[in-house]
Amino acid sequence: MFSNNRLLFLIDNLIWAILLVVFIFFVFQSEHFLTERNISNILAAATVLGLLVAGQTFVLISGNFDLSTESTLGMAALFGIWLIVPGGVPTNGGGIFMNPYLSIIATLSMGAAIGYCIGCLITYGSMHNFIVTLAGLLIIRGLMLAFTEGAPVNGFNNPSADVFYWLGHNKAFRVPGLGKISVAVIATGLVYFICHLILKHHKFGRELYAIGGNREAAAALGINVGRRIRQVYLLSGLLAALAGWMLAGRVVSVQSNLGEGFIFTVFAGAVIGGVSLKGGRGTMLGALGGVLLLSTIDRGLNLMHVSVFWIKVIQGLIILLAMLIDAQRVRLRELSLTAITEKKL
Amino acid sequence: MKILELKNITKNFGAIHALQGVDLAISPGEAVGLMGDNGAGKSTLMKIVAGNFSPSNGEIFIEGKKTFFSNPLDARNHGIEIVYQDLALCDNLTAAANVFLVRELMSGFGFFSRLKHSAMNDRAAELFEELKSETRPKDLVEQMSGGQRQAVALARTRLSNPKLVLLDEPTAAISVRQVAGVLARIKQLKETGHAVILVSHRMPDVFAVCDRVVVLRRGKKIADKPILKTSTEEVTGLITGAIETA
Repeated sequence: MFSNNRLLFLIDNLIWAILLVVFIFFVFQSEHFLTERNISNILAAATVLGLLVAGQTFVLISGNFDLSTESTLGMAALFGIWLIVPGGVPTNGGGIFMNPYLSIIATLSMGAAIGYCIGCLITYGSMHNFIVTLAGLLIIRGLMLAFTEGAPVNGFNNPSADVFYWLGHNKAFRVPGLGKISVAVIATGLVYFICHLILKHHKFGRELYAIGGNREAAAALGINVGRRIRQVYLLSGLLAALAGWMLAGRVVSVQSNLGEGFIFTVFAGAVIGGVSLKGGRGTMLGALGGVLLLSTIDRGLNLMHVSVFWIKVIQGLIILLAMLIDAQRVRLRELSLTAITEKKL
Repeated sequence: MKILELKNITKNFGAIHALQGVDLAISPGEAVGLMGDNGAGKSTLMKIVAGNFSPSNGEIFIEGKKTFFSNPLDARNHGIEIVYQDLALCDNLTAAANVFLVRELMSGFGFFSRLKHSAMNDRAAELFEELKSETRPKDLVEQMSGGQRQAVALARTRLSNPKLVLLDEPTAAISVRQVAGVLARIKQLKETGHAVILVSHRMPDVFAVCDRVVVLRRGKKIADKPILKTSTEEVTGLITGAIETA
């Protein structure tokens, strides 16, 4: 019995074993892999993706999807910089010169508002979450294009607004072996810690698992399912906007296609990390493992000089592999559960 | 004093009249068997008492006071516990998490309070022991047998000291030995002054533990008799419609 529970534990935490194997593989493939510079690159690559995956994990556990976050990410980055830079060529900003602190608040609020609106449409409008968020993805991206007419909004040459770029741009301190740790890495780590607390140790997280596991039962017991789902989308939008703010600080010049197609990687990260697409299963730490695995593979392939023309193929194969692993995990789970039940009988 | 009094309860789902003017009263220490064919309105009536539905018409009195339940939590706060027909369990959560769902033990203030995992596990273990179940609080519900799942749902009703316990088909999906356990549990509830409403298809169960039997047919109450003054034949006739009314 105990060993069976241990087996389940192993199945649910498979991601860390895979991450270790992949890591060791790359160490042998490239001499540059195990360097301070590369490790800090891996961590940096995990930040924006990590924030989106954290938001998606909440949504998935409640038994929903949120496709719109990649557009919210782009919109937040664009909007945030637009608020603080001068108008006209070459910056293409709004010429509002908003206080950067206020623009940060405005950016995050916009993300939360987008998420909340999507949640309202799904719950009050009784529409399917997949379709609503797909429409959201298109509409928000379309607004970005219409708004800028395709021209990039550039954040350079406004030192008075340095605060805005701080999150994505600055290094916090140096850690031996890991290189200079950026503010973004620390912030992402902090977000994961808080999200982990919410999911594991807060009533809100417990209710999300209940909703994802058996929505009717959750409602019958008195959980306000609609309200929780609206809150989940709000959280997802907020985290996407936070990721957008972070990314704006890194790229500084925001194209209207920023983040396009990113949502597939987000889903891949969550699923590889053991978050079930059917809802009710997965942990924040697992999702973090998925994110780290994807960014490790990304940097590793880069160092191995894999042709950019093949990168997409490899990414597709990785997603496929993740699904395969997930399917096997579900099967293994069921097998070991049957073993446990049979033992009882 | 009646624990629960329902007056003229009516419930319509669109054009379907699920309940038409049902009256029901129950005193402390009393067990009422609620019987009827499929679609007679038993579960609907239970869900109205448990706060899942609000009646289209009619009044609910708890200990003489007119009451309105806006949600299931409201009904529980008024001392009404229910075990749903499908048990309302989340397979992906542990037994303890299911027992305490929506009523988690927490420490801290307001939003910043955290779940007390070990306190909930310990309390759940005690409850399972009281129910003489081998269920372990940390096991996932998906790993459990029918009887253990039943125990988890029953344990929920023991979190508070309820005035009234509603059991919707508690013996439908469990083994013979476990049925005896559930019936013993109902007798125990009666002895400690709790009222019980038992919804069941199984005539022997109702006759073994209930003091009164109420029969619903097509949304109407057609009989409300003490068990001692009726027989399984008469109740069967009332349920099927062979006997018009009692």
